[in-house]
Formats: sequence, C-alpha cells, structure tokens
Amino acid sequence: MRVLFLLAFSQLYAQPVERQLNLDSFEKVWTTIRDKHWEKKPAGLDWDAIHAEFRPKIENAKNTDEVRGLLTEMLGRLHQTHFAILPTHIYQAIGDTEDGDGSPGIDLRVLSGQVVVTGVDPGSPAEHAGVKPGWAIANAKGHDLTSGLRELTADPAIPELVITRALLARLSGPVGGKTKVTFLDGAGKTVALELDLAEPRGPVSRFGNLPDTHVWFESKRLGDAEYVHFNMFLDLPRVMENYGKAVADCGKCGGFIIDLRGNPGGIGGMAMGMAGYLVNKQGMRLGSMFTRDATLNFVINPRLGAYTGPVAILVDAESASTSEIFAGGLKDLGRARVFGTRTAAAALPSVIERLPNGDGFQYAIANYISEGGKPLEGIGVQPDEEIKLTREALLAGHDPVLDAALEWTKKQRTP
Amino acid sequence: MKQRLALMLVGAMMPLLAADEALPPAATILDRYVEVTGGKAGYEKHKTEIETGTVQFAALGLKGMLSEYSAEPDKHYSTFDVEGIGKVEEGVIGGVAWENSPLNGPRIKTGEEKAQALRDAHFNAPAHWRELYSKAETTGVERVDDEDCYKVLLTPAQGNAVTMYFGKKSGFMRKTTVVAASQFGDLAAEMLASDYRDFGGVLMPVKRTEKAAGQEFTITINDVKVNQEIPAERFELPAEVKALLNQPAK
Repeated sequence: MRVLFLLAFSQLYAQPVERQLNLDSFEKVWTTIRDKHWEKKPAGLDWDAIHAEFRPKIENAKNTDEVRGLLTEMLGRLHQTHFAILPTHIYQAIGDTEDGDGSPGIDLRVLSGQVVVTGVDPGSPAEHAGVKPGWAIANAKGHDLTSGLRELTADPAIPELVITRALLARLSGPVGGKTKVTFLDGAGKTVALELDLAEPRGPVSRFGNLPDTHVWFESKRLGDAEYVHFNMFLDLPRVMENYGKAVADCGKCGGFIIDLRGNPGGIGGMAMGMAGYLVNKQGMRLGSMFTRDATLNFVINPRLGAYTGPVAILVDAESASTSEIFAGGLKDLGRARVFGTRTAAAALPSVIERLPNGDGFQYAIANYISEGGKPLEGIGVQPDEEIKLTREALLAGHDPVLDAALEWTKKQRTP
Repeated sequence: MKQRLALMLVGAMMPLLAADEALPPAATILDRYVEVTGGKAGYEKHKTEIETGTVQFAALGLKGMLSEYSAEPDKHYSTFDVEGIGKVEEGVIGGVAWENSPLNGPRIKTGEEKAQALRDAHFNAPAHWRELYSKAETTGVERVDDEDCYKVLLTPAQGNAVTMYFGKKSGFMRKTTVVAASQFGDLAAEMLASDYRDFGGVLMPVKRTEKAAGQEFTITINDVKVNQEIPAERFELPAEVKALLNQPAK
C-alpha cells in the first residue's frame, strides 16, 4: 500500500522534475552559445532577445519532445551547421553500451541498410574467429541491430558518423570480457560467435586530458604506390615519424595514398605537418580557423625532399575534423585527388555534451574555411571520385575505393 | 573673483597634476625596472644563463619540460618537450632565427616573426631596452592582479609594438601584451609574470603565464644557472636547418 502511494506520488512529481530538467537544458544550451560561439554576437543575432523569446515557451512546454523542438528551432536561427539536439533515443536505439575499451577488432559501416564488417584488425579476436570483411552483423549482445539501425537512419538529423560510432560502441566492453555477435556470412548463413574483447589495435597514446587512445599506423607498398593508413591524428611524435619514413620510403614512387577512412581527426596541427611532406612551395595553406579571439591560418611548412608525385586521399563519412582539414585543403590546392564518399562534415572543433534532460547537445566553437573559400562544416569534403563500398565487393576481397586510387596513380605516370 | 580664478586654475591644473603623477616618463619606469631587478651593473655581470623548468597547459592537461640557453650578445637555444607533442627546438644565432619540431620539421623564421625572435634573444634585454626599441611612452595605468601598473608602449624600429605593465609600487614588469607574429598569422598574445626570484644578483619572474589563440600555458622556472660555460655547439644551427638555408629559394 505504501509502495503504491509512493509510486503515485512519484508520477505526480515526475512532471515538475522533467520541467526543471528541460529548463536547465535550455539554459545550458543558451549560455553555451553565448559564451563559446566564435562570434560575440552569434550569427548576428541578439542572443539576449532569443532568451527572452524562448524561455517562456520552454516554461510552458508540455514535455521533452516539445522542448527538443523548441531548442532545435532556437539553434536553427543560427543557420549554422553542427549545432544540434540529439534525442535521447540515439543512445537507446542500439541498447545501452558498456564502458570499456575492449574490442573484438572489427570495423564496420552501414552499407545499403545493413551493418557490415569492413575491416578486421590483424591478430584480433575477430580474425582468430574467422570473421571476414563483408559479413553482415545482425545481432550484438542480444540486441537486434537491424531494427535499431532502421530507427536511427529514419532520423535525418542523426549523422552517419554518430550512428557508426554508436554501433561500434555496441560491440565493445571491458577488456577480458566477451561479446556475442550474430553474423551473416557471404553465403547468407548465420554465424553466431562469442568474441573475446581485447585491447584495441596499436599502442596507447596519451594526450593531456583526452582519454587514453590506441593509435595505430601502417604503411606498405602496393605496386608502385606507397599506402599509409592510421586511425587518428594523435601520438604526434610516433605517427609523424612513421609518416615521414613512409614518404622517404616512397622516394620517387608512383603514388602516395593516404587512407583516412574511419579517421575521426585529432590534433589539428598534424594536418599542416603531414601536408608539409607533400608540398614544396612556401606560403601555401590548407585553410583558416576563426575563433572568437583569433584567426589561425593552417600554413604548410614544406619539408626538404617533399614528395612531388601523385597523391590520393581516401575518405568516407567517418573521416572527420583533421581528416577533412587535410583532405579538403590538399584538394583545394590541387595537390591531391580525393576518393570515396563525402566526409562527415564535422571539421570544426565541436563538442557533444549530455544535457540535464538526457538529450545530446552538439555545438561548434570555431569556424573553419578551407583554402578553396568554402566551409567544411556541414558540407564536408566531396570526393573527386565518388566510390561507395559494397558488401559484395568486400566479400569478393576487393576495396573499390583503394582500387580506384591505385588505378589513378598508375595513369598519372603513363606518358 | 580671485578665489574663483584660483579654483579655476586649480581645476585646470588638476588633470595635469594627476596625469603627471600617474604617468611618469616611460624611460623612468623602464630604468626603475632595471634598478629593482638588479641594476645595470648586476645585469652586466651575467654573461650566460641556463634556465630549466616546466611548462603546463592546464586546460588541456599537458605537461612538459623546458630548457633555455642564452649567451651574450644574442645567442639563444631552447627546447620544449611536451608529452604527446614531442621536442620542439628554437634558436637564434648569427641573425638566423629557426625552429624545429616533430610536427612541422625545420623552419627558418622571416619578417616580423624573425625580428621578434631576435629581440627576444637579446641577452640582458631589460638593461638594453634603448637598443631594442626606438620609442617608449607611458600610456596609462591598469591593474594587473593585485597591483596598479603603468602601461608602457614600446615600439621597435621594425615590427609590432609591445605593451608592458610595470607595478607602480614594486617596479616589476607584471604583464606584456603584443600582437605576435607567428607562422599561423598575427595573434594577440599576453604574458603574466610573477614570483620574482634572485639568480646571480638579478631578479627574474619564475612564473610566466602565456595566453594566445584561446590557449593558455604556464612556465615555471625551477633553476637558472648563471655564467656557466655553454659549449659553442649548443647554439649551432642543426643540420636540417643548415640544409634549409642552403637550398635554392622557391
């Protein structure tokens, strides 16, 4: 009886709590834009007047859905990308994720409405278990990913980058744990596996307050072209050294291919540093970043012995931030040809925070204009050659994006 | 009437007196700084300095070590070694200002960035302000932390002016602001100096907090060795920088 009474009371109490959480969320969004937007008068708006207009509406809103709509409308007044409210269901549709870095060693993408394995880390539990690129993932930890994916992709406000990260998080958990995954192999046969969760690929990199991050770098010769691939612009001393060695190994090779697919960025300055190995003229730049207090030009310092042959950069919707600054800048300078699919359009230093009401709030703190005069934010880098991965190509052991880049570099040295 | 005239005169003189009192000539303020930190003779006893300390980007959670070697008349070599960034070297020798980092590789500074580096490398700079700046003027009074300070605008013969703030009471330089030339463009920069300590008869600020482009870091000097012999090769141009100097212009 007492329980029923308490339950009833809690129901009565829920609305004021929800209302206060929504008001707190509104204040957080409004003050964040006021204090952190790169323009003191955000998008030329009277931001105090915006507060006066929206606060009463939020106070009178009936529920969180209505508040979400109002906050989205308020952010829409900026007419700027990367200011968004991400509904709570983005965190719920694929099930709760467990904390922990443990990974089965799988990379994945959403291809034609399916969650598909696009890469298997060498030496990983997934490789040992025989998982192959091209296999579809139907279920992870007892959660049907196909229906969760359908729900997420139905909302155009949720970027592909966010969906992919959420799906990857669904496969992860504590190191030493296990994850149950149900795949569909190339023949359409169901393969249920219990995969170990191991330390992710690459040594741990520490950079200030960022959480410890595993950073890997690989380079190899593919025909007459040098191919480099790394997962983040971090671990600056090691990655820059390896990158420099790859350029030196290439020497006068027939092409230099930089694979930035799945690379979410990292230290912005590394875009300039890496471009310095590919440019031999002084005074060139990738673009400029505008903060409230300063304009930072991403100037390239040419290295001695810079590579002067054809450069191809591979990107996809998971290539973000520094990856976009690098690819977009070199494309604008006419120094690289870009292959793949449009990038994440998330070049700005943007932050996603959880609001008191549970929604996510994404906001940018600077503007970035690529050397071609266009912002990358919300637009991304459009490849010179748009090539999509397909499940069929992966199952056949092909990477159509890399194949196209190799073919292009070959043509560049044909007289 | 006489009294009224007297009041008018007093009234007219008041701003003048206030201005005179508040704004002494820049030369007086700069010379006083030299005096309170050791005197010209004290500075002249210093022939070399080796500073060691730490650098901290508190907001980013980054920490590192720094070493700076300086010698008469304008030799300078420094290293910052920060976890996750690596060792950044800078130097000035024979009129060449350079930098070498894992990020950008070797680089020769030019234009205002070079002029700025040469001024910064001038040994015993406070005692030689007349050589470094063609014009110095007191422009106002402003509070820096817990002390009212005279604002002194120092204009070099070439390049951007620097504003320095000297404590009215202490005489110490508490802050500098400048539009600093960098490879990324001109950036408004500020440096707060505090905690002056005696090293070989000259007082130096051991805490220096610098802000530019939204970043802030603090340098803490742990030790300054004075007049310790510094091998000549310490200041020599690294091979990569020499190679840059020797390459044909593009």
